[in-house]
Amino acid sequence: MSKNWIYLVFFFLLGCIDPFPVEVPEGEQLLTVEGLIHSGPGPHIIQLSRSATYGSDLQSLIRPVVGATVIVRSDDGEVTFLGEREGVRGAYFTPEGWRAQIGKAYTLYIETPEGTLYSSFPERVESVPEIQSLGIRTVVVPQPGGGPERSGVQIIADINDPADQNNFYFWRLGAANYILETRPDLYTTPAPERNPAPKDCCVVCYRTDIPNNRSLFIAVDDDFNGLSTRIPVGFVEDDGLRFVNKYRVDVNQYSISQDAFRFLRLVKQQAEISGSIFDPPPANIRGNMISLDNPDEVVLGYFMAAGEASKRIYVDQAELTFKQNRAIIPDDCRVVPNATIDPPFDWNPNE
Amino acid sequence: MMKKILFLIFLFSGFASLAQQNAEPPKRIVVGRDIGQLKGIRISGRIIDEITGEALVGATITVPELDLTRITDTNGFFELVLDRAEYNLTFRYVGYETIDYPITAVGDGRISIRMIQEDFQLDDVVIYGRDPEKNIRSTDMGAVTLSMNTMRELPPFFGEVDIVRSLATLPGVSQVGEASSGLNVRGGGVDQNLIQFGGAPIYNPSHMFGLFTAFNPDVVNDVTLYKAVVPARFGGRSSAILDIIPKAGSVDKWGVDLMAGTYTGKVSVNGPLIKDKVSILGGFRISYINWLLQTLTDPVLNNSNANFYDGNLVISAPISDNNEFMYSYYTSYDDFAFASDTTISWKNTAHSLQWKSKLSEKLSMEALGFYSGYNFGVFNRSGINDFQINSDILDLGGKLFVSYNFSPTNKVTFGGEYKQIEIQPGELIPGEQGEVLPRKVQNEFGREMAGHFQHEFELGEKLGFSYGLRYDFYQYLGARTVRQYAENQPISDGSAIGEINYADGEVIQSYDGLGPRASIRYSFNKSTSIKAGYNKMYQFIHLISNTATIAPFDLWKLSDNYLKPQIADQYSLGFYKNFKGNIFETSIEFYYKDLQNVVEYKDGANLIVRNHIETELVPAQGQAYGAELYIKKNLGRLTGWISYTYSRALRRVITPYEEENINDGEWYASNFDKPNDLTVIGNYKVSTNTSISATVAYSTGRPVTFPEAKFDYSGNSLAYFDNRNQDRMPDFFRIDFAANFKLKGSGKFFEGDWTFSVLNVLGRKNPYSIFFGDAPGLPPQSLRLALLGVPLPSLSYAIKF
Repeated sequence: MSKNWIYLVFFFLLGCIDPFPVEVPEGEQLLTVEGLIHSGPGPHIIQLSRSATYGSDLQSLIRPVVGATVIVRSDDGEVTFLGEREGVRGAYFTPEGWRAQIGKAYTLYIETPEGTLYSSFPERVESVPEIQSLGIRTVVVPQPGGGPERSGVQIIADINDPADQNNFYFWRLGAANYILETRPDLYTTPAPERNPAPKDCCVVCYRTDIPNNRSLFIAVDDDFNGLSTRIPVGFVEDDGLRFVNKYRVDVNQYSISQDAFRFLRLVKQQAEISGSIFDPPPANIRGNMISLDNPDEVVLGYFMAAGEASKRIYVDQAELTFKQNRAIIPDDCRVVPNATIDPPFDWNPNE
Repeated sequence: MMKKILFLIFLFSGFASLAQQNAEPPKRIVVGRDIGQLKGIRISGRIIDEITGEALVGATITVPELDLTRITDTNGFFELVLDRAEYNLTFRYVGYETIDYPITAVGDGRISIRMIQEDFQLDDVVIYGRDPEKNIRSTDMGAVTLSMNTMRELPPFFGEVDIVRSLATLPGVSQVGEASSGLNVRGGGVDQNLIQFGGAPIYNPSHMFGLFTAFNPDVVNDVTLYKAVVPARFGGRSSAILDIIPKAGSVDKWGVDLMAGTYTGKVSVNGPLIKDKVSILGGFRISYINWLLQTLTDPVLNNSNANFYDGNLVISAPISDNNEFMYSYYTSYDDFAFASDTTISWKNTAHSLQWKSKLSEKLSMEALGFYSGYNFGVFNRSGINDFQINSDILDLGGKLFVSYNFSPTNKVTFGGEYKQIEIQPGELIPGEQGEVLPRKVQNEFGREMAGHFQHEFELGEKLGFSYGLRYDFYQYLGARTVRQYAENQPISDGSAIGEINYADGEVIQSYDGLGPRASIRYSFNKSTSIKAGYNKMYQFIHLISNTATIAPFDLWKLSDNYLKPQIADQYSLGFYKNFKGNIFETSIEFYYKDLQNVVEYKDGANLIVRNHIETELVPAQGQAYGAELYIKKNLGRLTGWISYTYSRALRRVITPYEEENINDGEWYASNFDKPNDLTVIGNYKVSTNTSISATVAYSTGRPVTFPEAKFDYSGNSLAYFDNRNQDRMPDFFRIDFAANFKLKGSGKFFEGDWTFSVLNVLGRKNPYSIFFGDAPGLPPQSLRLALLGVPLPSLSYAIKF
């Protein structure tokens, strides 16, 4: 249960939240690990970076760690090397076709270019129930001061929680596509002329969307063990483009470990801190990585291993009970980044 | 000129006798029927307000010839036992004209004293409580009584007298921030204070999360805070006792008080149910913040609600000179929703029935029974998995207190206490459509018993002693399933090895302890003394919270197998000196306090609706010490005080397991450690009808944890925190101002009072907290939450019939 709804009315009547620079200690460049390997299709990614000083613009650049050796090792001795790819610094990918096996425990090993060795604690891949079905709910968020309301679609999953185990769930939105509609008939020549110059093509494209997984959706089955339940598993903001026609997104459900759940809960708690007087105090977010050379060295982040279940949902604009005003792009839809005239090969809204 | 007009009003409105009394020296009055009695002459009497007829509780009667002081009881009664002689009695009461009353005592008799408020006559204000020399003469240490009259002289908070905030102006007493409930007394947590109203414990003394105190000042007679040597009759909490005494209604005539302020309105009615026998006082206060919110166009505020009210009923029956009953009922209610489908509500209820009896000249007795309840609820109506969470605390108990006076300077008190506590820590109830499992944390049952004894005596004028002992006995009871943990491992879900079931009423765990109390006083002369004291206190109930203030959903938890009782040892030393006939009162006090088994939390503890909460807690040691300087001007056009405290409140967590230690087992500052704390309060009486007051408050900023580094995870910029409370917020500084205008209607029947106040005149944005956020559209940065960041005016109007 999140506490961020508890603001005081008086914040707005009398009080306020404003930026307040404070002198923070110069941050150490601690190795940070973010990664999830799972039983679904890959590639699975481990990201390595170095922490920086909080709040200071000059020193606050978080740098990726490149050139490290990254290995995942299972408890039956299988060793998998993860490789870097061009253009994505600090990300290490599992080989094509590799999947984690349910029931096995995996350990992450890292050797940095400086030669320091790091290891995770072993993480066991637990089985995960299927997502029975997906639905949506329109969410409208009023803005303080009476500005235009923000809105979007909350995705809700139906799951049958297995009764025989304590399940810890984590959801992420995967690949998304939507039908983009533009107005080439409103095209004007570039400034300063701005003369009407309508184009004949094209109104309808298919655009690939990169879902924002900043808000963490996690749950523990304490409240629904053995039951079928409905849980919010993701949120897609209505930007005036996405929900003009049809939107589709894949929802990935992961069974994570109890410690990983605790870690994500702390991340979520900090990410949602709102500045209410009942905010929890700062918590040390401990992960499952250690340095093999210096046990006192702090390593940030968490290496997770999980079972995966995935399901796809198509959202028709008519399902939304509140929509943002349609955003108008006065041009050929093909000029919009990540948009093409051809639907994805598996586009099938009627499935 | 004003004085003359007033004087005339007095003359014409039936105060001729009093005016006459002031004009010439008082005549000696012969009291009693003369049957030749020489000794043991009983003179009883009652002191009431000349105008309202209300009993004056705690008024002082002094007999200088015998160096004797008596105080009126809750119905204004007193009794003197004298030998046949002449005496020059004096009657004093805060804010009232002192009456000299020479008598010749010749036999048993009664006298009736009607006192008149000072501001009808004088330009001066008197703010000392009960007895001006009490601070010097009594052996008590660290007991402060604030009468309503004293509190009325402070700048009001949101237009009203606020009990908790008034106490926070005293040395050694502080609050974490501007809207926080509860008090931190000498380095103790908010849960280490026992707050009792009419003898019944109150668990959440605040409205709107602490912006308002949940006690209506119109129904309170006075408030006593024991912060050092707590008398043996009080116990159960390790830091301090806040004893709030409700006011009794008039047994003489009916009266009404009305007040309309900017945020709240209140009414109280009091009068005789049976004339001279039974009085009733009812009070009700309600906020209209909700109506204000509904008128706003901001959709966030418009979709929010904030309601609160509190109500009181006091029935007092002084059925005879020697016996009186008093029943007090108190309730407070809040609900709050901030632009969401989730409403939070909380409610206090307290009933108490007290019987005071004077069995003989020397022996008196008080018996009290109480029932107290606290409930909070969270209601979620979001449409998905609706739920509600409920939690309750029920206390039921009784106290007996006997006092025997060998002589006016040699007194023994003893008694006992019994209390049973039932806590429902949380029950999650699914809504109609909710696909949520109902969940209920096991109820807790406990029993606290105590026996106590105290002896106060004086050896001559110079030396006074008080010593006492309290024995606390506590049992944690079934029915309950208690989880067992593997030895030599930290208590966690992972180290659980089994469960033991206890039957209904079966004793699971017992704790007991002896709590000695002792103080000694040496008076150099009538205006100078030195005192030293020691006390030990036990606490069996703990507030499980990981916020800096009391949140309504914080849990109270009884001591069990894993959570041991908190123990506090306090040593105090003080010097007291009054100047200029008690016009100036000064003191300096030092204390050292040692705390054991204070509750601390593991990082990121999850405390809501949880069984096995022991897995989230670690025991801490506490250490607090300080020096408190207090200078008070009691009388004159300008009154007020300066209080300065230097103190530290530290915590340390050392466990057998390195990973559970906090800050590597070093001492660290608690959330409310504010080393320098200065309050200056002044009230200036401009004219008979107008006064202005101001409060200046300064303190060191409270501790805060700054991040060691920034890192990214799941697209969020996060702060990495390591050691707790290593940094500080900017210093706190605030000035409040108030002006009060009294309007006289038709003299004695009607009285009006306008109060205009401005909180935070400078508009300084004192941070309540500094936090580190990664809000969309902004770089991750440090942010400040300031609660009263602007000058906040309020206006209130009170009338009295």
